[in-house]
Amino acid sequence: MFKHLFKLIWNKRKQNFLFLSEILVSFMVVFAVFSSLVFYYQNYSKPRGIAYERVWAVSFNNSLKIKDADSLKMFFENVRTNIKSLSKVQEITYSSSNFPYANSHSTTGFTSNGRKYDRINTYFTEDTYHTVLSMNLSEGRWFNNTDGVNKYNPIVINDALKKAMFGTESAVGKLIGDEENAKMKVIGVVQDVKADGDYLTAGYAMYNRIDTGSRKWIGDILIKVSPDADAAFESKLYKVLANNIKNSNIEIVHLSEIHDAKNGDVIFPMTIFIIIAGFLIINVALGLFGVLWYNISKRRGEIGLRRAIGASGRSVSYQLVSESLILATLALIVGTFFAIQFPLLNVFNIASSVYLVALLLSLLFVYLLVFLCSLYPGKQAAAIHPAVALHEE
Amino acid sequence: MIRLQNIEKVYRTDTVETLAVNGISLDVAKGEFLSIMGPSGCGKSTLLNIMGLLDEPSKGIIRIDDQDVSKFSDQQLAKFRNKKLGFIFQSYHLINDLQVIDNVELPLLYRASSAKERKDLATEALEKVGLSNRLRHFPNQLSGGQRQRVAIARAIVGKPQIILADEPTGNLDSAMGNEIMEILINLNKNDGTTIIMVTHDENMAHKTHRLVRLFDGSQVV
Repeated sequence: MFKHLFKLIWNKRKQNFLFLSEILVSFMVVFAVFSSLVFYYQNYSKPRGIAYERVWAVSFNNSLKIKDADSLKMFFENVRTNIKSLSKVQEITYSSSNFPYANSHSTTGFTSNGRKYDRINTYFTEDTYHTVLSMNLSEGRWFNNTDGVNKYNPIVINDALKKAMFGTESAVGKLIGDEENAKMKVIGVVQDVKADGDYLTAGYAMYNRIDTGSRKWIGDILIKVSPDADAAFESKLYKVLANNIKNSNIEIVHLSEIHDAKNGDVIFPMTIFIIIAGFLIINVALGLFGVLWYNISKRRGEIGLRRAIGASGRSVSYQLVSESLILATLALIVGTFFAIQFPLLNVFNIASSVYLVALLLSLLFVYLLVFLCSLYPGKQAAAIHPAVALHEE
Repeated sequence: MIRLQNIEKVYRTDTVETLAVNGISLDVAKGEFLSIMGPSGCGKSTLLNIMGLLDEPSKGIIRIDDQDVSKFSDQQLAKFRNKKLGFIFQSYHLINDLQVIDNVELPLLYRASSAKERKDLATEALEKVGLSNRLRHFPNQLSGGQRQRVAIARAIVGKPQIILADEPTGNLDSAMGNEIMEILINLNKNDGTTIIMVTHDENMAHKTHRLVRLFDGSQVV
């Protein structure tokens, strides 16, 4: 029977072109939706890498007139002491402006062992940075006082960069960078931090220790506050900051707020995309339903004949549903050919597993859609009275 | 072979009730070639459909091969039609998207048979109707007479005991009609197939063993 149906479909390929195109287009749309959803879900299901709750970020425009590095250091330490003396401050750290969920990015690249690594998020941090953000170390340690005088610049990298550079080997103690005067020594590895929100990848990350030279670029402070820190405390903190950092615009934001805003940047367009795709799929479903209905009304004579020569109502229904599924298979073979190019060509630099899972889900979805759309017309075909259908012809 | 007892068929709409077949009782013996004649709308085709189990009578009993088929389920009816009955229609009812051999194989798809078996039987049936050289043609590449011969091959491919022919020569000129009639007579004579044929053509009807005339749904002869 399968061979017979395939032959029938093949001989009617011109008439079936519309149906095939419709399934192909819907498959590509569904594949795009599922690729996005799988990508976001895979990222969402990974650990966040930090605890952002009760972390406040203070930004100030670093227009300090102090040019001398030692004086600048002393100034920063003074501010630190004054803030830390506040009762509801648990920990404090200076940071470059690209702290998690901030709208600031700083990336770099280097060559190590002849291999190039690009788009590495570079953070300038202090010894207490990982405590404030409750970061988890996978290997080695975070910065401490002993890192002040070293032959090689000490760095902490994240799991993703470690995996790319060293695979399953330990990274601690390894020197990276091919230029002799710019070699860096890995002292620790931290869990990936999804700095652009829960739905996006962490990417590669490298953490540097703020030194005397880099302090003049620092304009942000991260403060871990106690659970009872409220608006009144925030106001008090603001006053202390304003007194300490004169002639500067000071802004305090809560990491929880910018975290939610970052997630919103993904959720909002994705919701719009799903709604549009949903309408498109409803249209496709109605289209499929209409095409199948039309085919049945055109094939009443054939259905009557099949009933006359031995087909039961159920086998007529089965035949029509099977035909739709075979047609869907033909369209999906073409669709799969295009979809499989995404993981093969590493489009958008997204993991192959995202595309492969999305491909599988899309195939199942389209089969289900075609099955459901053909079920009722198939049932209607089974109900066609053979004598009437044969007489009409 | 076929026994109809007091068959009635009423078509009902919201406002009109039409009695298409009115109390017909008829016995058709095994190996008989019976023709049914009558003016248009007298119920010939309805009666044929009832005998072919394509339509249910409103009243009466049908027995085929000593089996009361009125209690058969849809599945049983389909199986019965497939095994015991062959149909020939005035408008051939061939599937234009399938080649001649595939059209002839159709009834065999609804029973357990291998692809080779189906092909052999279909080729044999087409040889019988003189179309063994047209296996790979499509119906629209054939003449009317050839199409009807394909339809006959399809009707006989499953070796049914009964063939029901609804005006098989109705769309053909007299030469072609005679050719088709010859094939049917040979099937009846050589294979012992019971044939019931609805026709408008007096000449064709007289070539059969028995003629039944209908008028306004009732048997008149």
